[in-house]
Amino acid sequence: MASQTKTKILARHAANAALNIPLPGISMRGAHDLGADEPFYPLDEQIIAGAVEALESGQTHYVDVPGIAPLREAIAKHLNAACGTSWQSANILVTAGMQEARFLTIQIIGAQYDQIGVPTVAHPGVQKALGVRRRQVVSLSVETEQGCLPSLDEIAATLKKGCRLFYLESPSRLSGAAYTQNQVARIADMLAQHDAAAIWDQGLARWVDEGCSSLAALAEGSTAAIGEAWHGIGLGSWLVGSIAAPTDWIAPMQSQKQIMAICTSTASQYAALAASEIFGETHQQRLGQMRGQRAAALAMASELGLDLVPGAANNLLALHADASARGRLAEAGIDFAAGEDFGACDIVRLNIGAATVTAIEALG
Amino acid sequence: MSKKKQAAGTNLLYQLIAEARTYDDVIVMGRGDPDFDTPAHIVEAAKHAMIHHQDDVAPPAGLPALREAIAARVKRVNNIDIDPASEVVVTNGGQEALFLMVLAALGEGDELIVPEPNYNTYADSLAFAGGVKVAVQTAHEADFRADPAVVRAAITEKTRALLLVSPNNPAANVISPADMRALVDIAIQHDLMILADDIYDLFVYDDFVHTSPASLPGGKERSLTLNALSKAYSMTGWRLGWVVGPADLMARVAELKAAISGGTSIISQHAGIAALTGPQDAVDMMAAAYARRRRLVLDALDEMGMQYGVPQGGQFVFANIAFTGMDSAEVAQRILSEQHVLAYPGSAFSKERKDYLRMTFLQPEEQLIEGLRRMKLAMASL
Repeated sequence: MASQTKTKILARHAANAALNIPLPGISMRGAHDLGADEPFYPLDEQIIAGAVEALESGQTHYVDVPGIAPLREAIAKHLNAACGTSWQSANILVTAGMQEARFLTIQIIGAQYDQIGVPTVAHPGVQKALGVRRRQVVSLSVETEQGCLPSLDEIAATLKKGCRLFYLESPSRLSGAAYTQNQVARIADMLAQHDAAAIWDQGLARWVDEGCSSLAALAEGSTAAIGEAWHGIGLGSWLVGSIAAPTDWIAPMQSQKQIMAICTSTASQYAALAASEIFGETHQQRLGQMRGQRAAALAMASELGLDLVPGAANNLLALHADASARGRLAEAGIDFAAGEDFGACDIVRLNIGAATVTAIEALG
Repeated sequence: MSKKKQAAGTNLLYQLIAEARTYDDVIVMGRGDPDFDTPAHIVEAAKHAMIHHQDDVAPPAGLPALREAIAARVKRVNNIDIDPASEVVVTNGGQEALFLMVLAALGEGDELIVPEPNYNTYADSLAFAGGVKVAVQTAHEADFRADPAVVRAAITEKTRALLLVSPNNPAANVISPADMRALVDIAIQHDLMILADDIYDLFVYDDFVHTSPASLPGGKERSLTLNALSKAYSMTGWRLGWVVGPADLMARVAELKAAISGGTSIISQHAGIAALTGPQDAVDMMAAAYARRRRLVLDALDEMGMQYGVPQGGQFVFANIAFTGMDSAEVAQRILSEQHVLAYPGSAFSKERKDYLRMTFLQPEEQLIEGLRRMKLAMASL
């Protein structure tokens, strides 16, 4: 006889549509995979050496829940230099990748607030994290011509309605659009006026020419800044992310991390630590290369009259693409990230890489 | 008011661990972290993967080759037949497997029957899911056996699942085949799910036998079973575990896994393949060492006049300290401060276990002997 208990469990999950949303791949699976969250680069030997040395010296045991001390210090130092914050190691929680950072911030900081304001267009991992234990979500509408970011007016209106916690991406994980420094300053002012707070996904910020405009630099006491460590260095599938936040937020997230994972893989952490030493120089080289490839792709898209979504991050571009255009991408063997998974139906996201121009040609 | 006050969340163990770190000569008999390093061939496989599998990308459920190795392992060790494509999800260690299992099976107001004492994270995970723990108490005098009749009596109309951890943490009892059969029958009769934790299944002592509930007729279709490489291969830092179960439920587990952490380190997964498919002599060596150390600990506890449930499996002993007349948190604190030995207070596992200490035998024998010597001194001074 079929189990009624199991039937009920399955029905409960089936009713939770957020859990069914697919996630993009974590890292590119080859040159024609333009849909993953991170570009793939072969690992620098120094990074491998860092991980190997740790393993061979017996670093195969549990480590501190919030992460190994030197990595937390390196992340704090990096964020402070890049974004103008003043985080200490105690403000850093190392996570098993970006999705765990989303989950911990949304669920644990979110539990301290009645509502959370979330843009209608965001990384699908946001809706998935919200779906595990439903929070009261206030949807922030976005404007495609602003790169699918919520406008400042929309944030102000949502504050007026009583929402005091926001999840914001800058750059957008779909379009790469980022708030300017002035806009970030205005957001910080608005949040301060209402004693409100934000979870700020700045994982793609280093791909923006203008650099990292972090809300945390202006509102360190009420911002949790999340991102990969280190996006684009080649550690995507090793899954290392971080949360930088006030210590009174770190404490409950650390407790939750203990409950759900104990700690992050030691090999991954030591690799990330080694990567921290070369990230600056390596990233600059890759940023320069990406900038050139993106400019070429944008120029071709413009020539072909394609409908681009404004963006600022050099590692990706987004554009409108109907079913027929998507079919042509598929025929060309190009994988892309589908906008509907992010909440934007007619948009596709393409990573910048050797095959991006091929993709643009196919779309034209 | 839209903003809520932050809930207080302190962890007794954090304080003890933090203090332990301040002592150069500390002997840690608390945390369940084997002292052995990960076997060399597993480390070699990880190194190989760092060079040759850099561009591997696994789906959230895990690399197909690892899932196949897990399927072969649970067949070989646990006698559970599973489809590696649809009935395995790879996780960030046993801890994430545990969290996923609880979230998948239990929702708001659902009751989980938990033989106590038990691993405290089950209660924490259940609280996150909004579920309700229904504790079934056991006694050290009966070696912490969970009597199926008592379990049956605890079932209500809200009961949705039984938690069966064998060997148990911290009590170290092993559910006998007969009891396991009876517990699975209860689950079938009352249409309950079974959450099975087999993480210590390779460490069973004397004539005790490990039985997985999913291996019994009628068990598999209602069981989610977790395991991990942490304890068996001394791979606690690699964070690699799994859940296996029926495909319909595992599809939900996979969705939850994607929502919580998205995936599992590719390097750990390749190391896991090597662990499961490579030579197993290191596991046998560790099991033999734990058996010797267990004897040392039990002899020392006997000398101290302490009562305990005989550890039938696992890597701990859960000893009664009621004779001290003190709370276990205070005793653990005194032992640590005065003798620099870290043991975990029973109250960290259950509020009803304030008169117990959990001690591991996961230290080299000379350290263990010294730790037990110091513990004798500490207990004598209480």
